[in-house]
Amino acid sequence: MSQLTTMERVGLYGGGALILIGTVGMGLLEIIAGAPHPVSGEGQVVHETLISLSVRSYTILLGLLLLAAYGITNLATKPPEDTSI
Amino acid sequence: MVTNIQTQLLGRDVSFPVEESRFAYWLVVLRLIVGWWFLHAGLDKFLAWPFDASWFVGGAAAQTSLGPVVTLFSDGILLSFTNIMVPLGQTLIGLGLIVGALTRLAAFFGAFLMTFFYFINGETGGWAHGVITGDLLGLLIFAMIATLGAGRVLGVDAYLAKTSFVRDHPRLRYLIG
Repeated sequence: MSQLTTMERVGLYGGGALILIGTVGMGLLEIIAGAPHPVSGEGQVVHETLISLSVRSYTILLGLLLLAAYGITNLATKPPEDTSI
Repeated sequence: MVTNIQTQLLGRDVSFPVEESRFAYWLVVLRLIVGWWFLHAGLDKFLAWPFDASWFVGGAAAQTSLGPVVTLFSDGILLSFTNIMVPLGQTLIGLGLIVGALTRLAAFFGAFLMTFFYFINGETGGWAHGVITGDLLGLLIFAMIATLGAGRVLGVDAYLAKTSFVRDHPRLRYLIG
């Protein structure tokens, strides 16, 4: 398996890390330090978020964009390693 | 049968053995279910033609993080384009996955569509119970299908991969399974 270049590392690890921060990381923060989630009369969970949803949204979106950039760059710049199958 | 998967993560060798007796079975099941999900969504829209996406790209999307991009498609010729491309794209993605043809390309566009559904549905109320929704899981499954190249198992891509055209243009392997 070939070594990753710096740009590939940024795309793969940076993208994956941002998605994980936006979902798991900020989710954990909400659980530990976030506001309580009272249930309304209609049974809906009322969310008062610690981190605004748009911050989470942009973090995850940036992660997905980095992963997409990695995939597209890979496609454009080098043939696949294994062509035996 | 056990195969050793040679792989690295964060510069470390993290190779691991995989018992692959059910591997092909699982890839086909996954492809068929996700393929039918999208084929059904596309055909449903064609059967109830005309399809109008303006409530989604115009109304729902306007206040979301994707709003500045998506609302460009909310009227005129770009809305007409969207009204055709969403059902056509869903149908072709579904067909591609079911028959295993151009599987990675189909999965890429599946993930592309799911990105819009995830953020727009999520930011307009879908994230009320957390940001991990069915749309995000759908996106991840498309990414997994593309990563594994699932079209080579009982799929047209197994044949395509052996054609001289693909052998002469190895980069095409990024589009097929």
